[in-house]
Amino acid sequence: MCESCGCGKPDEYIIHDPNHTHNHGSDYNHEHDHTPPHKHDHPHEHDHPHKKVIDLNIDILSQNNITAGMNRRFFEGRKVLCLNMVSSPGSGKTTVLEKTISHLIPSKKIFVIEGDQQTLLDANRIEKAGAPALQINTGQGCHLDARMIESALKKLDPDANSILFIENVGNLVCPAMFDLGEYRRILVASVTEGIDKPLKYPNMFETSHLCLINKSDLLPHVDFTTDEFMKNAQLINPHLEFIELSAKTGEGMNLFFEWILNQADLFPGQGEI
Amino acid sequence: MHEFSLAGEVIKLAEYEAEKNKARAVSEITIELGNFSGVEAEPFGSALSLLSEGTILENARLYIIRTTGKGICHACEREFEMEQRFDTCPWCKSYPSEIKGGSEFRVVSLVVEEE
Repeated sequence: MCESCGCGKPDEYIIHDPNHTHNHGSDYNHEHDHTPPHKHDHPHEHDHPHKKVIDLNIDILSQNNITAGMNRRFFEGRKVLCLNMVSSPGSGKTTVLEKTISHLIPSKKIFVIEGDQQTLLDANRIEKAGAPALQINTGQGCHLDARMIESALKKLDPDANSILFIENVGNLVCPAMFDLGEYRRILVASVTEGIDKPLKYPNMFETSHLCLINKSDLLPHVDFTTDEFMKNAQLINPHLEFIELSAKTGEGMNLFFEWILNQADLFPGQGEI
Repeated sequence: MHEFSLAGEVIKLAEYEAEKNKARAVSEITIELGNFSGVEAEPFGSALSLLSEGTILENARLYIIRTTGKGICHACEREFEMEQRFDTCPWCKSYPSEIKGGSEFRVVSLVVEEE
């Protein structure tokens, strides 16, 4: 960024390497010093490179963030509550979603974007639960990015006043860096994971709004203390909310449904105008 | 793993800037990388060198400027260099501190060869 006058344009200047060799493609021989200005008494073409420094200072994620911003405007304009669900593989995201869809679908329109490296398995499960789903296969990719969501939205075309769940690729590292344009990010953890997960994967805990602690029915069988886990997570993110639940038995799921409906009211695109 | 897609973003950015500046090659690229950015310098460098084959960055030298976040202690309000997210204040040993900086991940500059 230009700091001389604050015009916001990048500074550009040319480095003229004084040690370059001239090859002018002619029989002329001459010597000249390289302190400008210098004059040539013959026409010539340079084939040595002129180097130029381009000062950029551009955030590498800026393109993703711009697209995420456009997605966000789309959601607000169409009053779609977008929730991005992230977790490590096997935490039970899809089961939580299935149960949530079955519960909410009588009163709310729900759409789902599924992200996985391979297969249509999750989208099929979601469709069975009653919501239109679009599967994005990222191939070797380890996360969804804002552009994938932008294209998916054109196909899925979610209705106004609906809820859109994005089930991100199961991975606690990469998806943390990519804003998709969601209103809230929900991290699904489970009691079969260690209580030190928040300390090991701080970026994901830092960027999430709600943490579900799933598989609570297994608590008697595992070495997991909910309090300790929450304490660790709050070291990273003091604003993080928690709901302990079991998608399998249904215990605690009501709290999650209430939380979602509450977000729908808070969301700037929804509620009273 | 996400280092690959980030390297891809860097190449796109460099190609866009090179074209805008009518450059035929990029000889240097400088990237600023904060210690809380979530990006590791080494895998990122490897990913970039693998992916840049056949692109404008093919022969570019990569410079990484590492930056360190700072903590501002909630208790004594003093500022200190933060190596780890959970560093306690070196003065009064309090925790937590407000983290400032360290999340930088940007292309600082390119050196291009003009046509």
